[in-house]
Amino acid sequence: MSDAEPVAVVRGLRVEVGGRAIVDGVDLTLRAGRITALVGPSGSGKTTTALALLGEYPPGARVTGEVRVVGGGAVGYVPQHPGAVLNPVRRVGVLLRDIARARAGDRRSHREAVHEALRAARIEHPEQVVRRFPHQLSGGQQQRVVVAQALLLGARVVVADEPTTGQDALTRQGVVERLAALAGEGIAVLLLSHDLDVVRRLADEVVLLANGRPVGFGPPARVLPAPEPVEVRPARAGADDGPDADAATEVRLEVRDLTAGYPTGVRREATVLDRLSLTVAPGECLALVGRSGSGKTTLGRCLAGLHSGYRGRIRFDGMPLPRSLRGRTTGQLAAVQYVFQDARASFDEGRPVVDQVARTAVRLRGVYPDAARTQALDTLADLGLAAPVAERRPGALSGGELQRAALARALLARPGVLVCDEITSGLDGAARAELLDLLARSRERIGLSLVLITHDLTAAARLADRIAVLDAGRLVEQGPAGRILTDPRHMFTRSLVRAAGEAVSRGRGGDLDDPDGTDLLGPPRIGREPSDGDRVEPVPGRASEPRGPIGG
Amino acid sequence: MSADRGRPARRLLLGPVQIAAVVVLIFALTEALPGDAAVALAGDQPDPERIARIRESMGLDRSMGGRFGAWVERLAHGDLGTSLVSGRPVADLLADGFGPTLVLAGVTVVLLVPLSVGLGVLAARREGGPVDRLISALTSAVHAVPEFALGVLLITLFALELRWLPPTAVGTDGDLLGRPAVLVLPVVVLLSRPVCTIARLVRAGMIDAMASPYVAHARRQGLSGARVCWTHALPNALAPATQQLARTCDWLLSGVIVVEALFVVPGLGTVLVDAVAARDIPVIQGLALVFGVVTVSVNLVADLVTLRLAPRVEVAA
Repeated sequence: MSDAEPVAVVRGLRVEVGGRAIVDGVDLTLRAGRITALVGPSGSGKTTTALALLGEYPPGARVTGEVRVVGGGAVGYVPQHPGAVLNPVRRVGVLLRDIARARAGDRRSHREAVHEALRAARIEHPEQVVRRFPHQLSGGQQQRVVVAQALLLGARVVVADEPTTGQDALTRQGVVERLAALAGEGIAVLLLSHDLDVVRRLADEVVLLANGRPVGFGPPARVLPAPEPVEVRPARAGADDGPDADAATEVRLEVRDLTAGYPTGVRREATVLDRLSLTVAPGECLALVGRSGSGKTTLGRCLAGLHSGYRGRIRFDGMPLPRSLRGRTTGQLAAVQYVFQDARASFDEGRPVVDQVARTAVRLRGVYPDAARTQALDTLADLGLAAPVAERRPGALSGGELQRAALARALLARPGVLVCDEITSGLDGAARAELLDLLARSRERIGLSLVLITHDLTAAARLADRIAVLDAGRLVEQGPAGRILTDPRHMFTRSLVRAAGEAVSRGRGGDLDDPDGTDLLGPPRIGREPSDGDRVEPVPGRASEPRGPIGG
Repeated sequence: MSADRGRPARRLLLGPVQIAAVVVLIFALTEALPGDAAVALAGDQPDPERIARIRESMGLDRSMGGRFGAWVERLAHGDLGTSLVSGRPVADLLADGFGPTLVLAGVTVVLLVPLSVGLGVLAARREGGPVDRLISALTSAVHAVPEFALGVLLITLFALELRWLPPTAVGTDGDLLGRPAVLVLPVVVLLSRPVCTIARLVRAGMIDAMASPYVAHARRQGLSGARVCWTHALPNALAPATQQLARTCDWLLSGVIVVEALFVVPGLGTVLVDAVAARDIPVIQGLALVFGVVTVSVNLVADLVTLRLAPRVEVAA
């Protein structure tokens, strides 16, 4: 494995900012056609190491050690958000031609080179794509364009920074194929990821990082712990007898024939949701799964009154909910709460977190400010945010902490239904597991109905009683979580489950300890004894387990 | 794709609608003016018969709808009416004033764009350095000086003391290009404040753009500093400046009254001041229409340019 020629070498890299070492003693050898993965939780120094290969350091950094690209060639960079590195004002073709211009040849040969690079990056119809602006491409296409830039540069090393974070299973599959193809062209790839499934499938070698120091090195099978199987949450009693067997139970939230869209021009509308009907019982967790763009978020926004351009009916406890937030009473506003994907954007940067959380109780339940503050601190403490942390401004909290604060803010309204929109997608493994556990606990304590919008089947499996699968705005399948995950009936669901399953079932073996919380779920953080009468044996070491009937 | 092509088309359609609204508004405002034009025209000894004759000849005896129809019909044929004071066609009066205003505005804009963009980019590339601080200090200081003060100062210094330049445009008869020296001082005064605002907008936009991930990415690809600056960062910095430039063009083309009065330039501003003083309603109507059409067209062009410079922006339409 070490016979391939090394194209980039890092020796004893130490990057120090303000007297604190962000990276300390990292060694890397990148070889042509090989994929090396840097694995570690957020803040472990992955990005700093990778940017060092690009010759970029944080401002004011003291750097020692050696970073050498053999032959001094260019290094390509595929960032987590490819849309951000593509100039919004320039067409894709112009962006690529800028790079091609450095080569010898005339305009025509440059154009040829651009088309060739786009084709090599698996872009269909390059002649159409070159005329588009970056925002007119999907996330996957944007990533391919960035890969094409690296190819056009003639890069012998490509750094891919969290290329699969926040992507659904099918998109992730595409990213994996794209990176494998890059390696197939003889390019050395440095993959930064906390997504262990992807690392297992791709990497030839893994370097584990924790707190800036390398703590493990070797092939993935030896270095990474065994993957966890997709856990299937057993269905609630009596809910397993068919996809639409909710007739007899109580209904808290009912959606009937919902058709929603966005205006795209004069008298034109893009339909995002098409005649969708579903119900959520009190205390039930319904997971909405599907690819990005399938209409999951629009459905959540309709429920919360954030999108009023729909036909159809939404009822809460039998009463119709007005379409728009403005039409809803304070009680109705409190009844349906929403936790956004980007927690940071949902907080005001200038005010302490606890004040913003307490405001919910003041506004929606008429609690006096002092009492609201006490309640807010209590709720935040329940979710693991101590008072000194909660008194800070959002900028001083991590993404996971802010997401918990956002959850506390929604819970303080004492809602009947909580809509959670991809709330775990920006978090690394440990923070994700913790947040899901907190959600499960809160839900059981107050009999909350949950609508969990997610592309992460593992999260859905962990929490949901029922799963509804959306594809291109239609409800293609819904039913008890266990049935959907083990016996999907619709073609699309099958491909979704297969893609998620493949990610997990490869590369078993290896028993190294989890280096400080990567994607692996350690021992249960919040234990609860399995209740009696469970029909399925709970998987050991998990916080979510089968529940009895409602109110049990 | 269809939505993206639809936006410029919708914005283009909005232009004629706005112009139609301007026409209706001007008519309504003139109708709402107190007094009776026929009485005013009849002179010192109003004789009821004479008033009735004037009223008939002006069409004032017809219904409001009828008069609006007739006015719009004449507008459609390019007939803006005749001046009540001089008896000349309004169109001729406007054409006389438009020449000098257009020359002043054109020369100013031609100098304004490279000057302000250049200063803004220069300051942004040297952010925090002495050059940036000098430019920033000068632009805010100059912006604080009103046109008339700067004009008087410049006339005193360069025309009266040093005698380098003529103090006013008296004697040119509106042919400013025939004696370019008379243009220098008015153009400097007209440039002073717009250069400052636009340079500051360009500087702010450039600093944002230079710190963006796409500029960092362009640098990674080994593109030269100048290329990154002018072709990657600058287009992203220009959208706000374009909107400000439209407002400046609008201001210039409507005849800057203070500057025209100070330098005795017989432009549209002077025509407006004279017409208002003499209550020459048809001329005021004609000017209002011209200013309205200029404003609508200049902003239309600016919005189309902005759509290209910020393809993701939804311009209010």
